[in-house]
Amino acid sequence: MSVEKVKSDHPNYWRVFLTFARNSLVRDMMFRTNFLLEAVSSLSWSLMNVGFYWIVFEHASSIGAQTGWGKYEFFVFMGTTWIINSLVQAFFMPNSEEFSEMIRTGGLDFAMLKPIDTQFLISFRKVSWSSLSNLLLGIVLVVLSLNQLATRAENPWRLEPASLLLYPLYIACGAAILYSLMICLAATSVWLGRNQTLYDFWFYITNFSRYPMEIYARGWGIPLWLIFTFVIPVLVVVNVPARLLAQPLTPRASWEWPLALFTLFATVACLLASRWVFQKALLSYRSASS
Amino acid sequence: MHAFSISNRIACWWMIFRIALEERLAYRGDFALGTLMRFLPIITQIFLWLAVFESLGSGDASENQLAGYTFSNMVAYYLLSMLGRAFSSMPGLASTTAKQIREGEIKKYLIQPIDMIGFMLLGRVAHKIAYYAVAALPFAFVFFLCRGYFSGWPDAEVLVAFSVSLILAFLLGFFLDLCIGLVGFWFLEVSSLLFVYMLLNFFLSGHMFPLDLLPDPWSWLVDLLPFKYLAYFPAAVFLGKVERDQLWTEVGIELLWLLALALVARFLYARGVRRYSGFGG
Amino acid sequence: MAIIEIDQLSKSYRVYQKQEGLLAAIRGLWHREYRDVEAVKSIDLKVEQGEFVAFLGPNGAGKTTTLKLLSGVIYPSGGTARVMGHVPWERNNDYRRRFALVMGQKNQLWWDLPAQESFRLHQQIYQIDREAFSNRLSELADLLGVEKLLGRPVRELSLGERMKMELIAALLHSPEVLFLDEPTIGLDVVAQHNIQQFLKYYQQERKITILLTSHYMKDIAALCKRVVVINDGMIKFDGSLANIVESFSGLRILRLLLAEGQTAEGLERFAEVESVELPKVTLRCPREKATKSLSNILQHYQVEDISVEDPPLEEVIANLFNATE
Repeated sequence: MSVEKVKSDHPNYWRVFLTFARNSLVRDMMFRTNFLLEAVSSLSWSLMNVGFYWIVFEHASSIGAQTGWGKYEFFVFMGTTWIINSLVQAFFMPNSEEFSEMIRTGGLDFAMLKPIDTQFLISFRKVSWSSLSNLLLGIVLVVLSLNQLATRAENPWRLEPASLLLYPLYIACGAAILYSLMICLAATSVWLGRNQTLYDFWFYITNFSRYPMEIYARGWGIPLWLIFTFVIPVLVVVNVPARLLAQPLTPRASWEWPLALFTLFATVACLLASRWVFQKALLSYRSASS
Repeated sequence: MHAFSISNRIACWWMIFRIALEERLAYRGDFALGTLMRFLPIITQIFLWLAVFESLGSGDASENQLAGYTFSNMVAYYLLSMLGRAFSSMPGLASTTAKQIREGEIKKYLIQPIDMIGFMLLGRVAHKIAYYAVAALPFAFVFFLCRGYFSGWPDAEVLVAFSVSLILAFLLGFFLDLCIGLVGFWFLEVSSLLFVYMLLNFFLSGHMFPLDLLPDPWSWLVDLLPFKYLAYFPAAVFLGKVERDQLWTEVGIELLWLLALALVARFLYARGVRRYSGFGG
Repeated sequence: MAIIEIDQLSKSYRVYQKQEGLLAAIRGLWHREYRDVEAVKSIDLKVEQGEFVAFLGPNGAGKTTTLKLLSGVIYPSGGTARVMGHVPWERNNDYRRRFALVMGQKNQLWWDLPAQESFRLHQQIYQIDREAFSNRLSELADLLGVEKLLGRPVRELSLGERMKMELIAALLHSPEVLFLDEPTIGLDVVAQHNIQQFLKYYQQERKITILLTSHYMKDIAALCKRVVVINDGMIKFDGSLANIVESFSGLRILRLLLAEGQTAEGLERFAEVESVELPKVTLRCPREKATKSLSNILQHYQVEDISVEDPPLEEVIANLFNATE
């Protein structure tokens, strides 16, 4: 045996991820027309949404009475939704879809041979770069809206260093929660077979996360609010970061800081749950196939 | 063209219909569940609009109006527009037509004594009927749950106009999609065109929100286009948003649109086939 | 110590009718129809370092399952196995860096990308030094004659070229043990031959241990001294290729070239006549009677040329499978 450098037990995950991202970019650039088309289509879809809410705010002053979600606050909220969704669509969506496909075709076998964490390999293999077009658009929308809020006559918005730090943190938390939900749904294909309906389910569930949570806080919305905050915490995904940025840091309602803390907890819990479900699925796959 | 006798033709139609029906019914449980889930976004819509209506004028959300819509009207509108879309949406029609042209499958219509447009229309009718056979239950269920948002049944005349508008919506949707698909004779790659069309359709048909909400120059423009008949118009008829004396005039205009589009489709097809044969296929 | 030690390894699994669709799936949560399938039944095997062993057996015999068990992809239901001292299904990174699995029917390279991009990914995952990597890559590409194809998207490659790329991907990290599952399946004769030649050369050069399953007897005849016959999840034979014929075929094939004017009439008295294409005649007879038959034939007929052969390997194997079923 020749003298070799002692290898650490794990590869450099960051560099592996960069290689994944690079390979995906090379691939996307091969189908440039497709790439552009996808980017343009998701952009125009988003612009249509702006148009819709623009019209709504022609008539209404805010979403809900005394909630503080006026036109530009809500556009910050919407921009935040796009940022988080585009992160999920760029990094996790293509991989989750492929995961159920790999379970069906046995491609998972190869993933398991590699000397690298299997969940990492499955979760980050592909990056859909075209989905990041909405990330840019989301940032632009957030910045423009904040500018509007900052220049308004009464109670102008001020940039707080704390929210500048907390906003990206909670964006990451939101993406992580959605990732966990998605990988769990994908992992169920080990038991349930390939299931298109489950993906529809994902879209319908995340649909709840796209609006300020205050709108559910009434009547039969309360059970929904509780379920989607504490059981499947999709409501905190956009609400917490958007609220941090769009609304003044002080004064805050008594429930807001606990909710922010809860979001951190929920993120960790979701990630652990996804790890657990993934391991279970893998175990089940390894015992049940030949 | 006249080689088939009427009874032969009916037998042929019956076959197409049965095959389409069986295909649909094979997964009916799943399908019904899927249809039911499609209504889930309605829940968020209800809460969203409730919040919007709350912030209008006085504190009582049920009193406030937005562009002539009360909160209940708004929810009813969304439910009815989904019904309209169930008639007028033609999943895959334009893309399949374009694909058949691109891959030369169109030849079979040139060789066999079948009229392509008639054949496709029939296939769609069968598909839609099969769809309603299964989707009727979840639709009825959701409408029953949401009956509180409706203020009773409209009178017979409106109901007739509503039913007519749904059937016309189906035909209009068919010919609009077909025309887009037939453009495939001239452009090989129509997917980008299709996407733009789909977006416009979603926005302009009133599926996203009632068209009455649009500010003035836009609402005038959208009113001139045929897309509003695909979702907005049937819902507006049901909700009494169309003036009684305008009702049949509007249906007449819709009929004219339908005729015009059917003629355009025929024209595009004839021209396309000539162009296709000219190139030697 | 043997590099691969398998002791009473078995694998059974339950199959139930997986059904598409959510409703069916929900129903399936509490009501399932199970069926137990024993894919591998108590296998014992030892392989020494540097051996090239073939697994032979019909479809569903348990060959692929055994390879998957040894790769750690699936769990056994009983028994133990050690490869290079590791228990495969613990899936230590250390173990996973020391072996490779190639499956002829599946590809692990990125379909739309040039193979070299997938290789670079391997470099990262297996932590191969930059220099070692480029040396290995150019060596392997040169041996397989695919240097010019490295930059071409995998989907544009022929089946044979794709297989060669798969082999490179598997060998880049210099595995000490290589599992090959049907590496030549679906390939044309030339590509099959190329891959055989490469494997033979590479194994002799590197002295690595290879386990191969194949349907093509030519693969096995060309490459492996040792053959393990698996059928119905059990090992039916373990020995050299020549021995298989000895042990499982009691027949000999006699090929005669008759002299001009001779007919095949009456030959059936001495041996079973398989085919007659005058002047060529093919006969078969039990091994122990071969000498007697031959001398009888030579007494009664004018024969220009004669040869005594073992029956074709395929036939022996087919008989073997039939006999053990």
